[in-house]
This record gives sequence, structure tokens and C-alpha cells, in this order.
Amino acid sequence: MSASHSYGSRPWTFYALALLFTLFVIFLYGPMIAVLILSFQGPSASLVFPLRDPSLMWFDELFNPRRVGDVSGAFGRSLPLALIVMVLTVLISVTAGFAFRRRFKGATAIFYMAIASLIVPGLVLSIGILVTFRYLGLSANWYTSGLGAHLSWALPFGLLIMFAILGRLSPSYEEAAYDLGASKWRTVKDVVVPIVFPGMIAVALFGFTLSYDEFPRSWLTVGTKNTLPLEIWTMTTNVTSPALYALGTVTTVVSFIVIAIALGSIVIIQRKRSRGK
Amino acid sequence: MNKAAMNNPASAASAAQESGEIRLVNVAKQFGNSYAVRDINLTIPHGSYCCLLGPSGCGKTTILRMIAGHETPTSGEVWIGDQMVVGKPPVERGTAMMFQSYALFPHLSILDNVAFYLKMRNVGKEERRSQAEEMLRRVQLHHLKDRMPAQLSGGQQQRVALARSLITNPKVLLLDEPLSALDEFLRLRMRGELKSLQDELGITFVHVTHTQPEAIALADMVVVMDTGRIDQADTANMIFDRPKTPYVARFMGGQNVLTGKVVRAGNEPMRLKSASGVIIETVPASFNMGDNVSVSIRRDRIGFARKSQASTEAINELSGTIIATEYQGSYVKVTVDVGDGEPFVANVSDDIYFRDPADVGDAVTMSWKPENVHILNKVDTGEAGASFLDDSH
Repeated sequence: MSASHSYGSRPWTFYALALLFTLFVIFLYGPMIAVLILSFQGPSASLVFPLRDPSLMWFDELFNPRRVGDVSGAFGRSLPLALIVMVLTVLISVTAGFAFRRRFKGATAIFYMAIASLIVPGLVLSIGILVTFRYLGLSANWYTSGLGAHLSWALPFGLLIMFAILGRLSPSYEEAAYDLGASKWRTVKDVVVPIVFPGMIAVALFGFTLSYDEFPRSWLTVGTKNTLPLEIWTMTTNVTSPALYALGTVTTVVSFIVIAIALGSIVIIQRKRSRGK
Repeated sequence: MNKAAMNNPASAASAAQESGEIRLVNVAKQFGNSYAVRDINLTIPHGSYCCLLGPSGCGKTTILRMIAGHETPTSGEVWIGDQMVVGKPPVERGTAMMFQSYALFPHLSILDNVAFYLKMRNVGKEERRSQAEEMLRRVQLHHLKDRMPAQLSGGQQQRVALARSLITNPKVLLLDEPLSALDEFLRLRMRGELKSLQDELGITFVHVTHTQPEAIALADMVVVMDTGRIDQADTANMIFDRPKTPYVARFMGGQNVLTGKVVRAGNEPMRLKSASGVIIETVPASFNMGDNVSVSIRRDRIGFARKSQASTEAINELSGTIIATEYQGSYVKVTVDVGDGEPFVANVSDDIYFRDPADVGDAVTMSWKPENVHILNKVDTGEAGASFLDDSH
């Protein structure tokens, strides 16, 4: 095809992009692997390489909060918060996605208002929520102000994903269901939701991870008790043991498990569809 | 309906109830400020195979969707049998629609797709499965009942879509460009299957297409549509052989359209003279001297010869230069530039053509018989169809 008539050689851009990708992978996984390895540090309690006398003592210390902060307590708040955010994000994004399918008056304005919270700095939002709660005489708590702050972050993503998914959903499925005598409710239950279910899992995954990881919007809104990212941040300032790495490893593993569950269920659904039952 | 049952014998009443006659009365559909269709009056007899034919955007799908109940007319009435169906859901209309992309539910097996209607009517699992299996046997896909739609070929998907529609036991089956997603071979086969299925079921089929041969091959009644209105609704033979308007003649593709002024009228054969001086003789007709008249002449009714020194006042004769030839197997399509406006096309049968094959650039003379000149009801304006849809009302 090309003028050089050579089939094998690759353009220089291939190597440039390959290098870029390699650097990306190193920056993404390098620190993660380093933290993973150092979390098995022995009693020397050194925070740097090399790894001496590998042990599990820092994991033990993690769940035994004498010297470290309240990790399990923080986890006990972050997990339910992330799950609530996940469920609400799915419910609201899906129903809003359906509403936006029929172009109603003011749809564009409402859409941009919802999306705008993506560009508001998280710390500013956090301060604003705290001030408002104080003014109203309410106390900040992870399940009130914290939940609201997290939703302001997760919902726009959920909405955008649902728009992309519902935009590709041909209206002829719903019409076919109507043609075959399905009521509105049964059309949603028996046709639309099963078809867009993989997309709903993607929304759920985003809702969960965005909340579970969130720092700036949690900062002033979760009240006196920290969520996990805040707890980790606090620990980096006053804990100087490899327990910090152990914590990093545990939270990363939790994140990976969540992702694996989500992706696994998408794969299972799609396999079921392409192979038959 | 109760009244009918009291006044008539029971059998007549139930026949009326089952009738799949479709009547559209002054139907119009407006989207925003423009009309998709307007002034639609059409009766499709019970048990007929009707094709709505027209270019894309002519409103044929809008009409189908209004019959189906997926679109509500802005004004006018839609009748199916003795029911005014505007505002009623498809199931109450006794219609079933087969969608262009088939719209098989991707998450359900073939069997569950076909059984969907019964499931919506809360028929028990065993019962609906056995009925759906029976329907799948009829379309010869029973062996694939546990597959998912994505695993089926286009032709198989179409048959599943058919089965899924037919299980509702409709009076009217509505098909939205059912063959457009198939390759040529499968299209011809499914075309035949649709026709024999309609014969077998005896219900009304309304089939939307933009392909002329498809409409002609299938339909008892062809409805040719221009932008938003019906130009002609007739048998396939009449549409092809006796088009009413220049638009239909051109759209069906087998005709040449000529226009001239009447120079001889009365009881003798009528004569027209075109702007470029061609004299066209037809059968006697009731036009006055000086009237503008358009006629159509079938491409396969045209005599064809190399140009000789023609007499200056030749009748039903036209000379020009060949600009294209296209071999079609049993005939050769010869396109001739005759100097003004659109080229003239003659479909010359292969045995005549190959006796002395003329090529691009050769001068030829074409001629035809007066009885093959068909007078159109409308004078050709040169446009595909007068556009009236965007005027404000």
C-alpha cells in the first residue's frame, strides 16, 4: 500500500507510542507493586527497599488498632457509603437516562446543570457543604453531608454512561414489546432493563469506586469520623511503619475484587447471550 | 359490534370482526411544522398483499406506523375491519409489526422471543412454550429454539421475527422493509416465502419497500408514494403498464416520458408535437388542440435501428446518439441522448441487439407504435413530484 513497498517495518510513531505506553504502565503499576512488596516488610520496620525478613505482621497491626489509626472503623464507614452511593447512582442515572430519552423542555439546561458539578473543585464543594450544614444547624456526617457530596461526584458520571448506553438502544425494542402487548412497566422490566444491564453494572462500578476513593469531597463533609481515604491520609502524616503499605495493599485488593465482580458479571451475561442457555 | 351481531347472522358478524380491511380516511401526520403525510385516503382490501412503495422520506413508513399504532395521526381516521383504531394499542387493533431490523430481544432465546406475546398475556410457562415451539416448527426453525438471536443468520432472524409476530394471530401483518437487510440471494428467497405465507394465512399484509421489483413481484396492490402523498394505488400490472402520472412512470423505471402540444384532435388518432419537434401519435383521445399532454412509452416496446436518412416528418420516431449500453442478459438497456432534457432508454431484446451491436457514439433511430403510447393524467413538470409538504398551514 505505502510507497516504500515494505511490509514488515513499522513507522517511527509505533515506537514512540509503545514507549509512551510503557512509561504509563510503569507509573501506574510500579508504585502499586512497590507498595505491595514493602507491605510484607519484616520487624525492621524500614519504609524503603530492601525487603528484610518478610512477614505479615503489618497486616496484623492494621486490624489491631493500638498504634495505627481506626482503619477497620474507617473501612466500616467507607464500604456502606460506597454501596449506598452505588445503589443511588444506578437508580437515579437509569431513571434520569430514560427521562432524557424523550426530549422534554429544558432538557439541555438540566443536563448541563447536572454535569457542571464535574468541574467544581471538590474541596470548594466540601467547604460549601460544611458551611451550609453549619448554617442550617445540622451536623456533618458520612451518611448525610458525606453522601450528598459523593453523589455530586458519582451521579454525573453515571448519567453520562447511561446516556451513552441508552443512546445506542434502538427504540424499536420498546416498540416491538408494545406491539406484542407488553405494558409500559413490563417493557421496562422484561426488555429494557435486561438489555441495558451490562451498562448498569458499569454505572454501579463507577458509583462504588468514585465514592470509595473520594478524598476532596469527603474532607470536611464526613464529620468527626474519617472514611478510609481520609484515614490513610492522616496515617501518612503520623504513622511511620509499613502498616501504611499493608493498608495500601488491602484497599487495592478490595478495589480489584469490586472490579473483578463487575467485569466478571458483564462477561457472564454476554457469554450467556452469545452461546445460548 | 353487538348491534351487528343482533342484526346479522352470527357468522357474518364474526367475519366482519375478523376483517383485516384497512381504511385510511383523510389521514395527515405532522412533525413540527411540516407534514410527513397529508390527505391520505386509502382502502386496502381484506386478505390482500399491499406494498407501500416510494423513495426514502416519502412517508410510507409513517403510514405503516400509524396503522400499527406506533404513531398517532395528527388528523383523520384509521379503520381496521369495523373498528376505528386511532388511540388503541396494537394488540387491540389485531395488527402485528415486523420491524426493519427485526428488533429481536437480544437477551432472550429464540423460543422466549416467540413466546413473549404469550408471556405478556400471562399464559403459563408450559403452555406458551409449546405454542411457541409449534410456531417455530412452522417457520422451520424449531431446531434453533435455544439459540440467541445474535447467533442466527439474517434470514433466520427474519423468520423468528415472523414467528414472533404471527403468534399474536393478527388480522394484519405490517412489514417495514423486511427484505432490506438481506443479501440478494436471500432476498429473493424470502420474497417468495412471504408471498406464499400470505397466500396460506389469507390475512392482510402491508409491506413497505423502496424497491420496485419487490413491490411488483409481491403485491396485489401497489401504493406508489411521492413526498407525503399517494400518487397511485393500483394493481402491480396497472402501476407498471399504465402509470397515471409522470412521477409514477419514472419511479417504476420501465418508461420514457414525453410531453407535447396537441396538434391533431377529434376522432382521428391524436397527435402531439414535442418542443424539439417529435411527432407522437396516440389512440384517439378527448383533448383539445393546443393542450399540453404527457405520455409514457415502455422501454421494451421501442423499435431500434441504426439511423437511416429519416423522413423529416417521421411519426413516433426519435433519433439520437447512444451514450451508454448495459447488458442485462435477456435484453440490452440502451441509453440515447436525444438532444433535449432527459435521455431516452430502449430495452432492446438481446437477439435483435446482437444482430448488429451498436456502441456508444453511434447514431440510432427509435420508433414505437401508437397503441404503445400511454397517455398520463398529469402534465410533466419535470420535477420528481410537486413538493407541498413544507408550506405552512
